[in-house]
Amino acid sequence: MTPTLDAYVILSSALFAIGFFGVLVRRNTLVVFMCLELMLVAATLALVAFSRFNGTEDGDIFVFFILTVAAAEVAVGLAIIVALFRTRQTVQVDQLDSLKH
Amino acid sequence: MTPLHLALCVLLAPLASAALIALFLRRKGTMAATVSVAAAVFVAGGALALAFGGARFSDASCEWLRFGSFSISLGFKYDDLAALMLSIVGVVGLCVHVFSLGYMHDDAAKARFFGGLSIFMFSMTGIVLADNLFMMFIFWELVGFSSYLLINHWHERKSASDAAKKAFIVNRVGDFGFLLGIILCYWANGTVNLTELGNHSPVFSRLIPLLLFCGAVGKSAQLPLQVWLPDAMEGPTPVSALIHAATMVAAGIYMLCRIEVLMVPQALHVITWVGALTALYAALCAVTQRDIKKVLAYSTLSQLGYMVAAFGLGSVGAAMFHLTTHAFFKALLFLGSGSVILACHHEQDIFRMGGLRRKMPLTFWTFTIAVAAIIGLPGLAGFFSKDAILALAYGNNPAVFAVLAFTAVLTAFYMLRLWKIVFLGNPRSESADHAHESGISITAPLVLLAALSIIGGYTHAYPSAFEGVFSRIPEAAGATHAIIFAVSIGVLVVGAGTALAFYATDGRDALEEKAPAAFRFLGELRTSFDSVYDYYVAKIQQRGAMILNFVDIMGLGGLVVRGLGGAAEIVGFGLRALHTGRLSNYVYWFLFGVVVFWAFAAGVL
Amino acid sequence: MEHAAFISLSVLTLACALGVVLSKNAVNGAMCLLLCLAGIAGLFVQLHAYLLAFLLVLVYAGAVVALFLFIVMLLDMQGGQPWRFRRLQSLAGFVAAALLITGLNLIAERGRLGDGAPVGHEVGSSLKLYAYQLFTTYLLPVQVMGFLLLISMLGVIVLSRRAAEGEPSK
Repeated sequence: MTPTLDAYVILSSALFAIGFFGVLVRRNTLVVFMCLELMLVAATLALVAFSRFNGTEDGDIFVFFILTVAAAEVAVGLAIIVALFRTRQTVQVDQLDSLKH
Repeated sequence: MTPLHLALCVLLAPLASAALIALFLRRKGTMAATVSVAAAVFVAGGALALAFGGARFSDASCEWLRFGSFSISLGFKYDDLAALMLSIVGVVGLCVHVFSLGYMHDDAAKARFFGGLSIFMFSMTGIVLADNLFMMFIFWELVGFSSYLLINHWHERKSASDAAKKAFIVNRVGDFGFLLGIILCYWANGTVNLTELGNHSPVFSRLIPLLLFCGAVGKSAQLPLQVWLPDAMEGPTPVSALIHAATMVAAGIYMLCRIEVLMVPQALHVITWVGALTALYAALCAVTQRDIKKVLAYSTLSQLGYMVAAFGLGSVGAAMFHLTTHAFFKALLFLGSGSVILACHHEQDIFRMGGLRRKMPLTFWTFTIAVAAIIGLPGLAGFFSKDAILALAYGNNPAVFAVLAFTAVLTAFYMLRLWKIVFLGNPRSESADHAHESGISITAPLVLLAALSIIGGYTHAYPSAFEGVFSRIPEAAGATHAIIFAVSIGVLVVGAGTALAFYATDGRDALEEKAPAAFRFLGELRTSFDSVYDYYVAKIQQRGAMILNFVDIMGLGGLVVRGLGGAAEIVGFGLRALHTGRLSNYVYWFLFGVVVFWAFAAGVL
Repeated sequence: MEHAAFISLSVLTLACALGVVLSKNAVNGAMCLLLCLAGIAGLFVQLHAYLLAFLLVLVYAGAVVALFLFIVMLLDMQGGQPWRFRRLQSLAGFVAAALLITGLNLIAERGRLGDGAPVGHEVGSSLKLYAYQLFTTYLLPVQVMGFLLLISMLGVIVLSRRAAEGEPSK
């Protein structure tokens, strides 16, 4: 029997939470970015589940946009990280704190 | 031109003259003098025209300020009382203006002087014509200001500027009571319009007239605020004549007459005694003075005491009658002394004058007429008015009568002392030796005022214009009349005779030599009030001010102002600690925000 | 049968997600991410969103993760510190994650989402249908996305050019 919507929501929220945990805890910026992607994917899953269970295709279409945005964001974000690395020689998050008072 | 318009022009002409002088004629003394004298002529002419034209009106007013249900309006009340006062102000003012042309001829700041005189005329006319207490208060303060301006004319002299400040401050003390009285009157009676005034409510009915009397105490220099008038003699003599003898100090009496409807017996009792004691005190102080103007100043104080006592005894007519005659002969005395001072090259000590009878005959004769008037020689103006007051006192209050009679003795005593030492005998100094009569601008006013001092007492000679006032002068009947007459003559003879016999014309003060203790005592009397005030200010007021200063710096400056700043600084420090620069911290803050939103959405918060 | 598929796919996904988060090596993490995406794609298939599953693998797994790997290898971090287990931070993170799960599910509860079965008619993954929607109802977002891509492209070029020329970054 098909899994209920509840199950998909729980799964999606679990994935999101794991991704969030990673953003909070990891110190390597690149890994933080990967966890960020994980969160986006979790959202995508939820959207698709909802659109399936409501019988519309709006959720699916929104996933297109999420995909696009994720791609753009990754590109720019990584470019920034590379630029940062060239000046600071580090990508550890707790060493990139020049915004400190 | 309707009477109302004429009155308005009379009020505004001196203001226009003052404005003109202040704006354009600062350096042009002669032209300023001309403008000012022209304004004075207009005021005198207008006042006399209005008085004898018969028009009387009291309901011309317009609203000036409005605060909700409370409004201040400006208007004219022109009845017989106002007509009389305005005529006095106009005539005496004109005489003084003309006199100043000669007296201030060589002064460097002539324009400022005449500007001040014009402002004074404007303010005084305002007081006379005012129809409600607020308007009167405004002009009251203006008169005080012009007095300050004019006393301070020779401001390079420290004594002059000190005296001006003293006059203004002491006046202010009286005006504080006056203002309180006005406010209370408005609160209790609902109106300050002089026509509508009346004791509508019993609350404060004893307090209000006493507070309003405070204004008169300040302005008319009664005890205990009389300290400013002798020092005000630092101003030029025309100023002393106009302001501090004839008109401004009489404004207090005028105000009292205006508010007579508010008076209650208890207040009147206080007023009578204040007046009587002032008269006595001033007469005692005058006996030992060396400066001619100071003698006349104390004489003014004494006569003002008479007027106040007359009012306190219940007669507006007697007070105003004495005010009228006093204006004439006191102005004459001051202008005469001004002529003497000018002739002796600004010498004011009477023991360095003498023998001026032969050198300045016209001044001598007019001055004699004035002295005779003030001591109450029968037939001259002062006799009739003083008689009226004595009769009134005899009828109502024997103690006051005794005080006033004794004061009359003293009046005769010191006036004759002055007269003898200044005019009789031989010249006692160089400047007195070279004295000679001055030009016509000095002598003409003297003659006019002398004439008025002679005929001023015959009230039935006045046209019916001033009926409303003069009809209220008490007439003594029968036996009382004879008694009072005898008392007046007796007083005059005793005082004058003693003075003439006692004092010699050789440059020494006989009292000082023969009764040094008494002389010293009388001298101390003079400075006693000043030293009390000095003590109060130096010890009490200064200490209070220092405490307040401390509270201000510590409390307000430190605690409130810098405290608030400090609090903001602390909050800033706290917020600063939140900026760690670490990504994870910021993400935690995001989460916190999301949780708050969820709590909102779930209805928990 | 569906249920079993669902369970296994979700276990795979979750395990790989944990792998991403907990792996010490960045490359290992990227590989785990790849597998995770594969699991998600499988779930999409189960939800009858075939096109999306395909796109996911193509775009996400193929392009984005590849890019990640490139950069990881570009930034040759030999001296990088190994990930240390810090107790307090991890606990805080765990609490945060738990909070998130709870919160999201509470919302789901409120909406009473778990009631119905999937709606009957097969919306399907008709490309024609999606395309139609994209070009009519969602035309504006499509244009905006185009714009966004243009800007990001420009941004990347600018950023990398500056760094390459050795100018001090802003």
